[in-house]
Amino acid sequence: MPDEVILSLKNISKTFPGVQALQNISFDLRKGEIHCICGENGAGKSTLIKIISGAYQPDPGGYIEFEGSPVSFTHPSVAMKLGIQTIYQEHTIFPHLSITENIFVGMEITKNGMMRKVEMRKKTEEVLKYLHSDLKPEQLVDELSSGEQKIVEIAKALVLDRKVIIMDEPTSSFSANEIDNLLEITKKIKERGIGIIYISHHLEEVFRIADRITVLRDGLHVITCDASEVDEAQLIRHMVGRDASAFYHRDFYPVGETVFKVENLSGNGVHDISFELRRGEILGIAGMVGSGRSELMTLLFGGAEKTGGKVYVLGKEVNIKSPMNAIKNKMCYITEDRQFTGLFLIHTIARNTIIANMAKTKKFLVNPKKEIDTGNQYIEKLGTKANDSRMLAMNLSGGNQQKVVLAKWFNTNGEIYIFDEPTRGIDVGAKQEIYQIMMNLLKEGKAIIMVSSDMPEMVSMSDRVLVMKSGRIAGELKREEVSEENILELSIGGKKI
Amino acid sequence: MKESPVQQEKERRSLFGRGENSTVIMMLVFFFIAIILIQLITSAASGKVVYPSFISPVNLLNIIMQVAAVGIMAMGMTVVMVGGGIDLSVGMLASFVTIFIAKSIMHWGIPLWAALILVIIVAVILEVIMGFIISRFKVEPFIITLGGMIAFRGIALIICNSQEISTQGALAALKTNLIAGAKGPSGLNLTFPIYVVVFIVIAVIIWWLMRYTKYGRRVYAVGANKNAAYLAGIDVRNVVMSTYALNGLLVGVAAIMLLARVNTAIITVGQNLEIDVIAATVVGGVALSGGKGNIWGTFIGAILLGSIANAMNILRLQSEWQFVAKGVIIIVAVTVGAIVQERQSRAQFMRQIK
Repeated sequence: MPDEVILSLKNISKTFPGVQALQNISFDLRKGEIHCICGENGAGKSTLIKIISGAYQPDPGGYIEFEGSPVSFTHPSVAMKLGIQTIYQEHTIFPHLSITENIFVGMEITKNGMMRKVEMRKKTEEVLKYLHSDLKPEQLVDELSSGEQKIVEIAKALVLDRKVIIMDEPTSSFSANEIDNLLEITKKIKERGIGIIYISHHLEEVFRIADRITVLRDGLHVITCDASEVDEAQLIRHMVGRDASAFYHRDFYPVGETVFKVENLSGNGVHDISFELRRGEILGIAGMVGSGRSELMTLLFGGAEKTGGKVYVLGKEVNIKSPMNAIKNKMCYITEDRQFTGLFLIHTIARNTIIANMAKTKKFLVNPKKEIDTGNQYIEKLGTKANDSRMLAMNLSGGNQQKVVLAKWFNTNGEIYIFDEPTRGIDVGAKQEIYQIMMNLLKEGKAIIMVSSDMPEMVSMSDRVLVMKSGRIAGELKREEVSEENILELSIGGKKI
Repeated sequence: MKESPVQQEKERRSLFGRGENSTVIMMLVFFFIAIILIQLITSAASGKVVYPSFISPVNLLNIIMQVAAVGIMAMGMTVVMVGGGIDLSVGMLASFVTIFIAKSIMHWGIPLWAALILVIIVAVILEVIMGFIISRFKVEPFIITLGGMIAFRGIALIICNSQEISTQGALAALKTNLIAGAKGPSGLNLTFPIYVVVFIVIAVIIWWLMRYTKYGRRVYAVGANKNAAYLAGIDVRNVVMSTYALNGLLVGVAAIMLLARVNTAIITVGQNLEIDVIAATVVGGVALSGGKGNIWGTFIGAILLGSIANAMNILRLQSEWQFVAKGVIIIVAVTVGAIVQERQSRAQFMRQIK
């Protein structure tokens, strides 16, 4: 029976504090099909596969059926025992073990407590042969390329006779040859009746292998259809298409002189980046997760070594070797992870506020009273909800913590602001406030570079958008061209650049 | 919602209110009251109430004399730990320093002043080496300084051939009594040696350095969050290294004070001193995870731990009991500190929600 359903999700929802990651998702996987899941960053793809693999529990109300009977995946091992294998983006491999050992780790074939090495080796060899691979069972996984390591994971799924294989972004960091090879292997193994869930940011790959495609958007199920029924443009339209209320309406200000310019910049995994940034504008940097956006920001701010290219601040060529240099060159970097790279949680608001400006001043002494005053001034200016600046940063809510980060940078009097995910994990009200603060910066003639995975934010806040793909700029969109479709087309479309 | 200044003032003065050092101050007060009460009760039981000798001027000066060397080292340890590190090698480094000085002046014919300068330079260099490795290769300071501790012990033993060296009072000048001739109420001579002054002066300088200078702010920032500190334009590696360098300087000075007191350089001078030093620091409220604590807290912590041994002597208890008492006080101080902080945090958080 070709259309036999092996795995079925019924009304699955998943809520995290403050976020509805999935809402009433129903989803079928048939035997011997490749089912691709598409959607933007944050659409809910990762949450969905984590539920299928047992890493997350769905909210009450929904359930999972496996081979026709309801199951509850209380732990990843439960899903594994039933025959569901997840191949994650990052490798979950033991580098110092051989291929055979990697395949059988935790599932060794034993007899009277002794390992049956010969038998395990033989099984591995058979499967590798079936996959037309040149790999040898005794090779150390350490020596393999990332493409070959993925094949080992697939071989593992075959040896253990899995019924469902989930592949999450399997081809990231692959060469073109390796991609071809993996797609061929994927098509081959579905003939064994295995159901395959395939997640990829690359629509080209999706259309090469998918039997059916499911599109998610903002945690909702949009459509499931046969791959032959849709084309790339239609698919993208399904992935976007929010209603107007999701967008923020901002004011535009006259754009002034160029304050920041990058020519052919390379390093930290990004290549050949060129752009200009002018006063009074927000330059959006879009792209899927892993396209090199944050890497570029770290590079711009001196957090990584550049291997080539030139950077100009206010018309003068500069060599930014460290964040200290960047701050002296009037740059500010609001990172995507407040708690990990932005705040000193166990310190007061006052101390958080003054810390970055110390890189600019030559004064050896500090004045604790003045620090508290400075902290209080920014609390008032930014509307931070805190009694006074002697309060510890860890006792603030997310939006207010973000305001403390902003205070830290405003206090340096910078001209060029890099915002990496400015409103991640912030509730709607505080979001509007952060946008307003960004607008005030533009009004004062500052310039902003904004990285965001939040598509409405990207579309409504940016004057221009640079779209990144695989560490390069895939294209630039002018104000009138900025739309969800155009951004997606450049970041995941098959269009060659 | 803004509070009036009066309200804030009140909050700061309350028993468990603001002030990072409230816990250790309270512990010190409780401890003193407890010992005084015990003395009063026992003397009353024997018929005649006498002034408790524990808080006689002579004894109070005694406590501070006994604490001086460990106290100076605890100042250095505080800087290192606020910066997110720890240094297990300080005890053996102190032993090495005393042996190095004694050997220099007694056997190698180096003048005293030169020996003192030389040994401090050597101590700083040894700490800088460890600090360099810790900051550059991002290895656990616990392990590196453990290695340092063992190695320093070896170097010290090689220099002195595993023997003790008497300095024959060469450093007596540091013991000069600044209030010679002064007598306490009981008629005993009071002593206030120079090295106590050194201790207090160092404590004030380090307190000032950590509280009122850019350097101090940077050490706190690095200890609290290395990534954020780096992105805020701080040279994290050099700040970390500098805390060890400063620690080397202070251990050098402290070891000279030790040698002046005991007059004999021997490997056991500094043995297990790191335990007392770290204990004083954590009792004073410095967090092992870095970024938290202050010099004033450490100063009180050192006094508190120093008074325990002293009190045991005065109460004529077996000296073994002082370990039990010290251990209990460390555990209580750190636990109470954590509870108080948790409570303050919750209070701040609730006020914000309101």
